[in-house]
Amino acid sequence: MTAPTTDKSSRLAINKAGGKMVADYWDRIFTARERGEKVVWYNGSAVNPIFQAAGMAWCHGEAFSARLAAQHLEGPAQLAGQEYGYVGELCSYARTHLGCAVLSRKRATGSANGTGMVGLPEQAELAGRLPTPDLFVNAYAGCSTGQQWDDISFRVFGKEVPIFNVSMPFMWSNRPGEGYMVGEEWERSSRYVAEQLRELTTVLESITGRPFDWDAYRQNMAYLKQASELRQEAMRLCRLTPAPATFWDWIASVAHINFLPASQELVDFFAAVKAEIEQRVADGVGAIADERYRVYFDGFMNWNHLGLLAKKFARYDVAVVAGRYTHHAFWQEPQLIDPEDPLLGHAQNNLLCPMNHSTKTIERLVLRDCDYYGVDGIVFHSTRTCRAFTNPQRLVAKAAQEKRGLATMFFEGDIADASYYKDEVLDSRLTAMLETIDVRRARA
Amino acid sequence: MSHYLGIDLGSTTAKVVVLDGHGDIAAAEVVQMGAVSRAGCARALDAALTTARVRRGEITAAIATGYGRRLVPDVDRTFTEITCHARGVAAMCPGVRLVVDIGGQDSKAILVDSDGIAENFAMNDRCASGTGRFFEVLARAIECDLDELAGLALAGEKQLEVSSMCATFAETELISLLAQGERRTDIAASVHRAVAARTLGLVAQVGRHTPVVMTGGVARNAAAVRALAEALRTEVVVPSSPQITGALGAALLARDGAGARGAGESAVDAREPARSCASCDMSAAHGAGR
Repeated sequence: MTAPTTDKSSRLAINKAGGKMVADYWDRIFTARERGEKVVWYNGSAVNPIFQAAGMAWCHGEAFSARLAAQHLEGPAQLAGQEYGYVGELCSYARTHLGCAVLSRKRATGSANGTGMVGLPEQAELAGRLPTPDLFVNAYAGCSTGQQWDDISFRVFGKEVPIFNVSMPFMWSNRPGEGYMVGEEWERSSRYVAEQLRELTTVLESITGRPFDWDAYRQNMAYLKQASELRQEAMRLCRLTPAPATFWDWIASVAHINFLPASQELVDFFAAVKAEIEQRVADGVGAIADERYRVYFDGFMNWNHLGLLAKKFARYDVAVVAGRYTHHAFWQEPQLIDPEDPLLGHAQNNLLCPMNHSTKTIERLVLRDCDYYGVDGIVFHSTRTCRAFTNPQRLVAKAAQEKRGLATMFFEGDIADASYYKDEVLDSRLTAMLETIDVRRARA
Repeated sequence: MSHYLGIDLGSTTAKVVVLDGHGDIAAAEVVQMGAVSRAGCARALDAALTTARVRRGEITAAIATGYGRRLVPDVDRTFTEITCHARGVAAMCPGVRLVVDIGGQDSKAILVDSDGIAENFAMNDRCASGTGRFFEVLARAIECDLDELAGLALAGEKQLEVSSMCATFAETELISLLAQGERRTDIAASVHRAVAARTLGLVAQVGRHTPVVMTGGVARNAAAVRALAEALRTEVVVPSSPQITGALGAALLARDGAGARGAGESAVDAREPARSCASCDMSAAHGAGR
């Protein structure tokens, strides 16, 4: 049996230029020490505009893990992470990045904290290229692993690197009058996080030995606001049929909106994304060859299989038009940002992590998007080592079935560990869901 | 007279059903295989065609399903086991709402509507936990034939802990119980309860609806049926031929016209994902639905 191999996906051409922007960013990180820059490793929410204003180089832990996985180079780091002592069934972002920490330290000092590198040494070069940090910043929302991860990183580097934790309250929204971006809890939590971000700037001053550049910070946030607005406008165009771009295109530009430097280049990139999508709309061109189904994707990205999944869904004539990971994160509420006084809006966007809401809010947002984008069903990626994202999925599926009559399916996989994904499982379940959709349409 | 063919190539058995033009079963064959096998499929097909006294070229429409459905040659299209089991069971047991299918390597719970259409489904994860393979492991560990398992289990009285999710680890657990001097009957009964408990997890995902019908090779095991009924606290019906429901559903779908291709579909490879349905000819309206 040979599955058809024709690629029916047509991803945005701008992604190629976008890929170079990301590669250039990482190359600059790798050489930060040579330019005398201080380096911060951070996890969780996007606090990077503050690092940028402070003149530091910043490395987002999950992002580097995802990059390694997307390049199929995660193996050495994951082995090193496991050898250091991190449990293999826990967060694969953390496992990968802790391995990077071990390898980076080994590269920098010639030792590995008592841990020898194991396996695949010829692939380990990239994993070990991160410059060692001068500071850790943890800003994780909705994930307890984040704090434990940085606690271990702190120990990998001999407890010699300072660590700053931005505490992100979970958004329960369970009292009358409270909900998504409304209520006393929201206001209080926003101010609480904003104050911590302000405190972070003073910590950075002590690290860099320079006053924090508030003008640069305001400029960074203004750029991000513009970039995000363009991204949001472009996303909304995918409400049209055929969808001019898909979830996989938005995945390809997660890096840009999440951690690339705030700049005119970033704004121009998202303007180009929007322009290409508008051109597709004008030409009646879809992101897949024969759009017959529209689905929502709930779950973290399976970075090991980005190309495979994009082609697979297209082969089944399925346009994945939106997703919780891409659409409920990454400065998705740009109207909250006041470029003249950006701390509060910054804090608020950080709080709006897709894992940091009660199930009630997640359900409401997912169903809102399902309505807006006119989907036939939801594909749930049950992310094996990220239970924070997976926890509410069954409840959301039940709500989608009962309140909207949507078809749903689950497949197991992971963010950065390829071993949890099985192609046949996704094929069988996706096919079964599409058969169900067909039958419902025929009866409608 | 027209004849319709349904082939269910599972992980350990090949099932073939031939329907005549009235929708009656002209032949039904089940062939045991070592693993997914074209040869096993061919044996089942040859036997069914012989019984039905019809040549392959005289078949009006054919649909394949099952784990190995894409290996079946010369069919009009394929459907998943989900759709076919729902259709087949609804024909055998009108009014069914929940189908629990436990086969050689997978298990599934399917919520079925009044027309025999799958409303929702859940399948086991990647390991063989809660499947027929689990019983094979048990039979090997306690040194008996598969056919003897039910009798042993029905005689079991003591509740033993069998907690392993993985069939391989379960074997170790069973050997340990034997080493502790536990009786084979009690071990067998406990394994049946453990499989039923795993199945409850699937049922929970689609909702506990009644009537419940159990299908698949494991449905021939009376102890497994009883354990599931006790776990669900409801009666569990077993069709007269629980192994052929998938093949029957495939044959019924073929008869319904799901195997027929519309004018615009002639180039569609049968191995492509199924896009048709029981009562629709894949009209262009599907694509224009939104």
